Amino acid sequence: MHFKSQAVAKPYFIAAIGLFVGQILFGLILGLQYVVGDFLFPAIPFNVARMVHTNLLIVWLLFGFMGAAYYLVPEEAETELHSPKLALVLFWVFLVAGALTILGYLLVPYASLAKMTGNDLLPTMGREFLEQPTITKAGIVIVALGFLYNIGMTVLKGRKTVVSLVLLTGLVGLAVLFLFAFYNPINLVKDKYYWWWVVHLWVEGVWELILGAILAFVLIRITGVDREVIEKWLYVIVAMALITGIVGTGHHYYWIGTPEYWQWWGSIFSALEPIPFFMMTVFAFNMVNRRRREHPNKAATLWALGTAVMAFLGAGVWGFLHTLSPVNYYTHGSQITAAHGHMAFYGAYVLINLTIISYAMPHLRHNAPAANGRAQVLEMWAFWLMTISMVFITLFLTAAGILQVWLQRAAETPLPYMVVQDKVALFYWLREITGLVFFVGLVLYVASFFVKGKAHVPETKAARAATA
Amino acid sequence: MSVTAERVEHGRALPGDFAIWVFILAELLVFGLFFLAYAFARSRNVELFNASQLLLDRQAGAVNTVVLITSSYFVVRAVAAIKENHARLCANWVGAAIGLGGVFVVIKLAEFHAKFAAGITLSTNTFYMFYLSLTFFHFMHVLLGMVILAAVMLKARRGGYDAANHTGVETAGSYWHMVDLVWLILFALVYVIR
Amino acid sequence: MSAPKNDSSMRPCTRAWLVLLGLTLFTYGIGSMSVGGIAATGVVLLATLLKGQVVVDHFMGLRHVRLFWRVLMFSYLAVVGVAIAIAYVLGVN
Repeated sequence: MHFKSQAVAKPYFIAAIGLFVGQILFGLILGLQYVVGDFLFPAIPFNVARMVHTNLLIVWLLFGFMGAAYYLVPEEAETELHSPKLALVLFWVFLVAGALTILGYLLVPYASLAKMTGNDLLPTMGREFLEQPTITKAGIVIVALGFLYNIGMTVLKGRKTVVSLVLLTGLVGLAVLFLFAFYNPINLVKDKYYWWWVVHLWVEGVWELILGAILAFVLIRITGVDREVIEKWLYVIVAMALITGIVGTGHHYYWIGTPEYWQWWGSIFSALEPIPFFMMTVFAFNMVNRRRREHPNKAATLWALGTAVMAFLGAGVWGFLHTLSPVNYYTHGSQITAAHGHMAFYGAYVLINLTIISYAMPHLRHNAPAANGRAQVLEMWAFWLMTISMVFITLFLTAAGILQVWLQRAAETPLPYMVVQDKVALFYWLREITGLVFFVGLVLYVASFFVKGKAHVPETKAARAATA
Repeated sequence: MSVTAERVEHGRALPGDFAIWVFILAELLVFGLFFLAYAFARSRNVELFNASQLLLDRQAGAVNTVVLITSSYFVVRAVAAIKENHARLCANWVGAAIGLGGVFVVIKLAEFHAKFAAGITLSTNTFYMFYLSLTFFHFMHVLLGMVILAAVMLKARRGGYDAANHTGVETAGSYWHMVDLVWLILFALVYVIR
Repeated sequence: MSAPKNDSSMRPCTRAWLVLLGLTLFTYGIGSMSVGGIAATGVVLLATLLKGQVVVDHFMGLRHVRLFWRVLMFSYLAVVGVAIAIAYVLGVN
């Protein structure tokens, strides 16, 4: 650890991992409900399990991003964080608000939750991923503002690097676009139109900047390649991500009441969205191959390379599969979408968070550049178990999706939705079993933090200079 | 020094920063895809495209082609000037190129204005959807190119480049030539071929 | 491209510029006759590809660069040109 205030990242990372475990548990419940419809009913109905699964994902990724920012910005700016105290206060505010919201989902019927939290005054609830009560949304904005202030002041008073500027741009974009969560027009077309400004422009826009910046930071530290080289790549990747991603929003605008030109715009621009992810893969492997030092944290290198590959597969390839409007005409809202969603979120955003956690945690916990050898071996086992099971989850869902599209939409005599759901049940079972393997990987991951081994490599002055 | 000389003989590196070339190639891909989408959409709707194309201001398109080509040429002269260590001259050539970029923008805006005044929008028909999208997307690239050139001009004025060190001029120039290159295809495809 | 200043002969880039102007005038001429058909389209496409190659070689200066990049840029122009031609022929039928 180079700066004392970087320590505030630690609770953020711990909370992120805790919520990640919760997300996967609800994923397992949800996966089982696909085939055993009344599992845990009426305690946890399907819609609630789904809401908790997706909301926990978003919240823990945000915890991870904030932790990453608190960790890497002081190091990039070469100065202490503006206010570590504010960071800790915001941590507890965010955690308590998040926990209360999830408890609200689980304990109170959604309609009552809406009433209790005064949704009538400013109705924003009831939309996928944005189910949070309006007061929670307001809380998120307050936390985001405080966070941006803290990070912004730190960047301003210290060294301004491309990495921290790209990260800051991404974080500001994240906060600004979230404001559209408060815009809830009566007109359903407009509602969806702006809803995507949060959802799409987050994951296929500004989050890619955050992802790129964190990946660049870790690669600079791990490989020792010249900052200028890595920054140049970051620029190009970010530019391509924005060019293709912003207009690429159009791939959500097919047949929902928006003008027809979106079919062209969406198809053309989003067909190119794999390019920045492909560049990221080339970039990551290139940098690791040209490394000028052997960093002791092998696990972090594995997570970083895994991010680049899996993001390209999940976001790039699986996104491209159904992004062209003539294809999407058939696949819209099918299990193909679910397949893409799982691998893209895992490959891009889960893995980048685990990358920075893997890199930062040894510094934060032991003031050492890497965890002990046994812990790293366990971490790498966790990587492979989770990644391979995610590949299979994606393949099973893709198979279910193809079957679904065929039986329900493309066949001469299309079958009703629920009949088709029964016919693809085998794939849902396979997905659920693979999900259990994923959970085993996650347990190993958590366990890796508690493995005692031979002494950690201490962070000497010399080692610190080498990583600077 | 001999190493550099040898490299010149056997094939130099790309002019300008390598990163701009990655970017240029990606941009060419976007435009290429757009062109192909236009061409194949047209093949399914030839009458509509031919009829709508007659209403375009071909003269404005041709003038703008000449303007961009000439502007590109000025940038080539700017690079040649800085290679001979004439920083002032280089800045002037870049300035002239920006001026012509401005002429392009004005003519293009007049064209857009005429179309909007005639009540034409993106939803009028497939031809106009493409015409407006393609030309507007290109228009944005002209503006970006002008911003990049302006930055180079200011730096050249301050004496930031010389014969040995002028990657920035070449980088901006390469991007500007790409904007020109794409317009050449766009002009033929959208304004002329029928 | 960087001929000495006192040389009375034209710089190669100036020649390239004049060629581009000529070809543009030619393309515009065909356009203003409003003629269609495979022959006219073929000529316009060829002229455009030629212009593109002139820009690539003389303006972008790829003539002196490793063959790979020239081939890459030429392929781009060729692929776009051929695809446009195919689409045009499809439309005629």
